[in-house]
Amino acid sequence: MAFDLEVNGVRHSVDADPQTPLLWIIRDRIGLSGTKFSCGIGSCGACTVHIDGQAVRSCSVAAEAAAGRAITTIEGVSSDGSHPVQLAFKELDAPQCGYCQSGMIMTALALLNAIPEPTDADIDAWVTNACRCSTYYRVRQAIHLAADLMRAER
Amino acid sequence: MTQRTGVDRREFLAMAAAAKGAFVMGFWLPPRPASAQQRDGAVWYEDPEAPEINAWIVIDPDDTVTIRIAQTELGQGVWTSNAMMVSEELQCDWSRVRPEYASANRDAREMAPEWTLEVMGDGAQDPTGGGEPSFGNRAPTGVFGIPDSLYRRMRTNAAASVKDGRYYLQLAGAEARERLLLAAANEWDVPVRELSARDSIVTHAPSGRTTTYGAIAHLAAVTPHPNPEAITIKPPSEWTLMGTEQKNLDVPMKVTGETVYAIDVSLPGMKWAAVKTCPVYGGDVAAYDFEAIRDLPGVQSAVQLPIPDPALTRGRIFSGGVAVVADTWYEAKTALDRMPINWTVPPENAGFNTDNMRQALLDSLDARGTVRVDEGDVDAGFAAAAQIVEATYSTPYLPRARMEPGNATVLVTDERVDIWIGDQSPQETRFSASQITGIPEQQVHLHMCHLGGGFGRNGNGPQAEQAITIANANRGTPIHMLWTREEDFIGTTYRAMGMARLKAGLDEDGWPLALEVRIAMQDDGFGPTASFGGASRYHAPHYRFSNHETDFHVPVGTRRGVSQAAHEFYRETFIDELARAAGRDPYLYRRELIARTDIPYKDDMIRALDMAAEMSGWGTPLPAGTARAIGLEERGAETGRSATISAMVHTVSISPDGRVRLERVDVAHETGFGLVNPLSVRKQIEGQITWFYNDAMHQACTIANGRIVENNFDTFSLSRIDEDPPEINIRFFETDHWLIGMGHDRATSVQSGIGDAIFQITGKRFRDLPFSQHDLSWG
Repeated sequence: MAFDLEVNGVRHSVDADPQTPLLWIIRDRIGLSGTKFSCGIGSCGACTVHIDGQAVRSCSVAAEAAAGRAITTIEGVSSDGSHPVQLAFKELDAPQCGYCQSGMIMTALALLNAIPEPTDADIDAWVTNACRCSTYYRVRQAIHLAADLMRAER
Repeated sequence: MTQRTGVDRREFLAMAAAAKGAFVMGFWLPPRPASAQQRDGAVWYEDPEAPEINAWIVIDPDDTVTIRIAQTELGQGVWTSNAMMVSEELQCDWSRVRPEYASANRDAREMAPEWTLEVMGDGAQDPTGGGEPSFGNRAPTGVFGIPDSLYRRMRTNAAASVKDGRYYLQLAGAEARERLLLAAANEWDVPVRELSARDSIVTHAPSGRTTTYGAIAHLAAVTPHPNPEAITIKPPSEWTLMGTEQKNLDVPMKVTGETVYAIDVSLPGMKWAAVKTCPVYGGDVAAYDFEAIRDLPGVQSAVQLPIPDPALTRGRIFSGGVAVVADTWYEAKTALDRMPINWTVPPENAGFNTDNMRQALLDSLDARGTVRVDEGDVDAGFAAAAQIVEATYSTPYLPRARMEPGNATVLVTDERVDIWIGDQSPQETRFSASQITGIPEQQVHLHMCHLGGGFGRNGNGPQAEQAITIANANRGTPIHMLWTREEDFIGTTYRAMGMARLKAGLDEDGWPLALEVRIAMQDDGFGPTASFGGASRYHAPHYRFSNHETDFHVPVGTRRGVSQAAHEFYRETFIDELARAAGRDPYLYRRELIARTDIPYKDDMIRALDMAAEMSGWGTPLPAGTARAIGLEERGAETGRSATISAMVHTVSISPDGRVRLERVDVAHETGFGLVNPLSVRKQIEGQITWFYNDAMHQACTIANGRIVENNFDTFSLSRIDEDPPEINIRFFETDHWLIGMGHDRATSVQSGIGDAIFQITGKRFRDLPFSQHDLSWG
């Protein structure tokens, strides 16, 4: 069954079981591989994307639930790593293996969009993504730095 | 300069030819038509427009320097630190350095240059501070690296990439630099001694002439060095790049999602495979009903997977299973979930559970065991003691649980095998591919990808062997096998479940007269003598240490920290218990007991303790419900050749309802002869603090009816940012011996530190990890 999905501002017609998790439609049908699979049960957040600006775990959302809504993946944040959140993650050299970082950045971006100057408590409440290398110490600093960079842009 | 995701461009072209025009989605594509580079008879790695100086170094006309990395980037920074070691000697422009993976195929075809073989191996006396490659005997499986193959050690393990590779990586840079200088000298007809090189520019000071590496690389490529054995490497005092904090070269592509991990590899015509293996190790498929799922969407075929040949998995017995091949992975996985499978399970393996395994370990502690050290007369020491302290500890089975589930893409034809994989042991995987397919290793091509986490050589699980088996049954079709998270918990190896009984006899002042350490673990567990072998780190006139082994069915292997992590939990907790029994300060008690030993590098251990204590404000008042604990972390000092030494103070708060928070960690870490990239060292320490926080607080895999119970992140917990310490202070102090490595066994003291803080705050001493299983409330 075919349905339409809008990903990073581009409309895609997808011919697949509409109950397929959004993650696999993004990766296998649309061909955007920055969004990662890790647990498959909505626990770790490696698959985090935005639907209408809200951070969601795409492994646990049926693709059809996202039809007609604006989906943003890591590839839609910027084409060249120039978004303030990406600049901040680079400045702090935050990623290690990097596998969780797409999801981490999507969560951080949703947080910053909702709370432009988050406190540590806000970060604790919002950033529920798992990182096995444990980049948390630098991710926290990077989110604060990103808030500064975004404030300077406003 | 084009940023690339990792695959070697020349190897890519060879692969593209083999796969008849196949391409890899997301990989860098050559700027020139591939046909222009495919010259008849040319070996794939010879590219006239980008001359190779030696097997590690290629220099493009635009001065881009490509450095081949024989280890795997898994977040530890090797992509950058290995490149730094080569660049230091090459004296090239660091801003134009671009790493790529060394070819495991070429490693099967070529021998190492002779000048890389004779390296210093003179312990702490080596004036250059160069590395000491630790090769075992030449083993065809490549398990220990291959001493004389081109890239020698391609494995990534034991936190040893810097130590094991440094000497010959620096030599590779120096050899290339000398040949670039020779080429310029020949070109200008001047003595080479009048030339200097810096930032990829060669200068002839007397005439003021300059040229660039890019301009003379094609000449250097055909200019042999007359006496390469005479080339020496720079001692740490002469380093200009090594020792500086450099941001990691792989990071920019990791914030855009462009990095291609193995899971992201996609080839034309590729099919996906999902796998289910028997959840009881040693079990196999009795029957399965492919007909029941044959007509489901996308389904192509099923492949039965035998129990992987133990000769390819270091003797470990995994399970047999079935793979379903489909157009997409989700289709394969969905169909596999609906396919009836019956297992044949060895009854003795199905009889294991955590309780009876724990009892077996306890029973083994009562046996004599294998005595490793027996100094003095321990029984006489106990008899003379004023006070006996005895404690029994346990640590559970622990998996690596890297974020990227096991996967590999394999294309087998009748002529060659191509494998796209993130792998910590490519020489071993090359051997497996050859054994399974019958195709010679010289025709096996590994296309290495960055790993989504490593934490212990993942080559020792059967991810590659399963994928090769499926692809071998589908020759001509690229097969991408991907494990579910649950399957990843079956396909990994575990750190062995362990128990320890420590007993000390203290004199009237609280100092140990006798110390006995009994360690029980599975008989093939890694590092049984870690932390206790050779000699006691804390002085006791009478010391006995023994191993007590038991036979279990869980495949155990290398996991970050290996046995040292468990053993330092036992040791440091027991020292805390002794200090409490003696009524002495745990920092000063440790300090005195180390001072009384004659173990090598004991002064460095004392410096670490002193620095960490001073950094933490040791002894200054803390609020109620908050406590400090100190721990020593040490590896290998007993050899007198090398060591890694650090000490940490952990400031821990516990709410009355039992909520633990690691508030602050103060870290004193040695430099050895010199850290290559101190920024990566900081990141590794930060990461390991959380790693061992998880070991201390949350993580355990239990066994029921022979199966691993916790098999996803809902039951196997990973801490999140809200539990991470808000303050980490790291200071380095200089020492003058080889550092073994610091990527896997630092911050083990988080375990004993939280345990002792729990004791200080709640009055309760817990000796079984993880602590979250205990009632930590107080007040």
